[in-house]
Amino acid sequence: MRKITALFAMLAFTAAPAFAQDAGWETQGLTDDSITIGVMGPFSGNASSYSKAMVGMMAYYQKVNDDGGVHGRKLVAVQEDTACDSAKGLAAAKKLISQDQVFMLQGNSCSGVAVALRPVVEESGIPWIVAQAVSDSISVPLARNIFHGVPTGSANGRAMASFVLSKPDTKNVAIIEHSNDWAHSYSDPAKEYLKEQGITPSLELTMERGQTDATAQVLQLREAKPDFIIAALYEAETAIFLKDLKKYGLGDIPVMGTAGTDLENTLKRTGDFDTVKNYFVIHSYVDNLDGPKMKKWADMIKKYYPDEELSTFSFVSIGSAEALVSALEKIGPDLTRSKLIAALEEVRDFDTGILSDPITWTPEDHQGVKGSAVAGFVDEKPAVLKAWGQPY
Amino acid sequence: MFMQLTLSGLAQGAIYALIALSLTVVYRSTTVVNFGHGDFVMAGAFLSYVLVVLGGVAFLPAGALAVVAMFVLGVLFNRGLIRPILGGPHIGLALMCIAGGYVLRGIARMVWGREVLPMPPVFDMPPIFFGSLVITGDAIVIISTVLVLLLCFFGLLALTDLGKMVQAVYQSPRGARLIGLNVDRFNDVSWGVGAALGALGGILVAPVTLLHPDLGASFLIKGFAAMTLGGFGSLGGAVLGGVLLGVGEQYAGAYLDSSLIEITAYVIIVLVLFVRPQGLLGRKAVVKV
Repeated sequence: MRKITALFAMLAFTAAPAFAQDAGWETQGLTDDSITIGVMGPFSGNASSYSKAMVGMMAYYQKVNDDGGVHGRKLVAVQEDTACDSAKGLAAAKKLISQDQVFMLQGNSCSGVAVALRPVVEESGIPWIVAQAVSDSISVPLARNIFHGVPTGSANGRAMASFVLSKPDTKNVAIIEHSNDWAHSYSDPAKEYLKEQGITPSLELTMERGQTDATAQVLQLREAKPDFIIAALYEAETAIFLKDLKKYGLGDIPVMGTAGTDLENTLKRTGDFDTVKNYFVIHSYVDNLDGPKMKKWADMIKKYYPDEELSTFSFVSIGSAEALVSALEKIGPDLTRSKLIAALEEVRDFDTGILSDPITWTPEDHQGVKGSAVAGFVDEKPAVLKAWGQPY
Repeated sequence: MFMQLTLSGLAQGAIYALIALSLTVVYRSTTVVNFGHGDFVMAGAFLSYVLVVLGGVAFLPAGALAVVAMFVLGVLFNRGLIRPILGGPHIGLALMCIAGGYVLRGIARMVWGREVLPMPPVFDMPPIFFGSLVITGDAIVIISTVLVLLLCFFGLLALTDLGKMVQAVYQSPRGARLIGLNVDRFNDVSWGVGAALGALGGILVAPVTLLHPDLGASFLIKGFAAMTLGGFGSLGGAVLGGVLLGVGEQYAGAYLDSSLIEITAYVIIVLVLFVRPQGLLGRKAVVKV
């Protein structure tokens, strides 16, 4: 008996610091008047324009803070640069988790980086709302603490292929993409959808990030004569690809792009309407960027970041930030990480007023947004579309 | 398709040739491999962007001004940062180059941060069609500019007294010093010429691609690959290597797999180092003991 008592005493002694650490861990990054949130994004590098999403999100935090915060706590963003590079992203995540000891993470553009971060963040257990990266494998298989706050690649990829096939007589579809997780997260579901409709892509091409010329790819497309091209390329490469398409006389072939690009910036980058007139993109919002439903969000960003140039990406992370704030409000002042995760799993049909589809997170499914519209130029003006020639 | 790929490869290769040549000019005079050279390329492109877009200067004078400015920067870089440590270990020189490059990149990031900038179209002439062959304005401008420049450069080296002085310093800096040549000044000029040629590569590529502060990194790798292929230290080899790399990338992308375009440079570096370390026009290093 004495031995058993001694054993229990020893166990209690060794376990005590662990319990104490658990209690502390639950409220790490919290004070009476602040909640620190680690915000990772590509603030440098050739994908740095995606960090506009983080800027929009942080503007929303500031608005919430100006309105009194959440139960008296201000949202304090701790910013880290990933440069859209997995190694830098991992270093940033480890710093935020171990050194800065933030309460939670929100943000992340660049799926390749987010996928690389997943094991680290999952193991840490701290809540992470993925607010721009789209790869399905960030949030599937389910990780208890990881939530997707934007339409994922599978939702977008299928929407892209569905739009492509909604154009009458489309039979010959070619695909050009980067060879990274982000691009595959769009192209794989798109190919799956095409296959379901009995279509195999006539050509599958790669254009790597940083390439400054797409001649080799465009010349192969010229031989294949596709009816539609699906392009899973980042912004800079999209502009180069579209310029080269036009250069070699293929400017009339419609191109379906991802949510990683937008019409306005692609037009700005190519500098020529003729180059982008047949370019379509996934569009996750309720309205055109200059439409009345988007104005209040644009005004909000401009209020806190007057010099910020707005693009599609500026708005994409605001919806999930709204869902976060709503969950934090429901929890009350007695906040812990576990309570936040539980509250996020209770978010149902949350209308953000900015994303085209609502956010629903359940204990079984953390991919919150299930659909997207498409944007394209109609009469030389950006328009939101449901299918080829059909307004949303 | 073959002809089109060749033409496009020549245009791309002309840029690589320019960058490899500029690296070689610096290497031959000071034996320093400028690991920050990609950022000189980027700086040239951004300078021309500033002059064209913000200053409203026409592309041609803007390009010329940017080249001159980069020449001065190259000279100052050598005088201020390289010359004082030239006798030190090579790793120190390499790190100094990297640091200098990062300073340029940092300045660009501070000013333009997260923007990817388009240069207004300046080669916007209608393409010429020969059957299915499309000869674009940018290909004509890039190839002809680089060709004229190379003719002047190699003509100067081969046919003038200045060229003979350059050859003398290349062969033996100490000997050149003994016959009264100012080798330090020569090195300044070499750094200036290297920076200016690299910048010209950036200026020519700016209108056909997009500008961002990290633009130079991939061009640096291409420059190294071209130098390795042509023969490290060989001026003619650098040009030949650049052109072959440009054309090789296009053929590999079109006839083998489009994903090969980006790794062609690395494959070339590995193959050449294994099969013919001295490159196509380089001399085999002989160490006498």
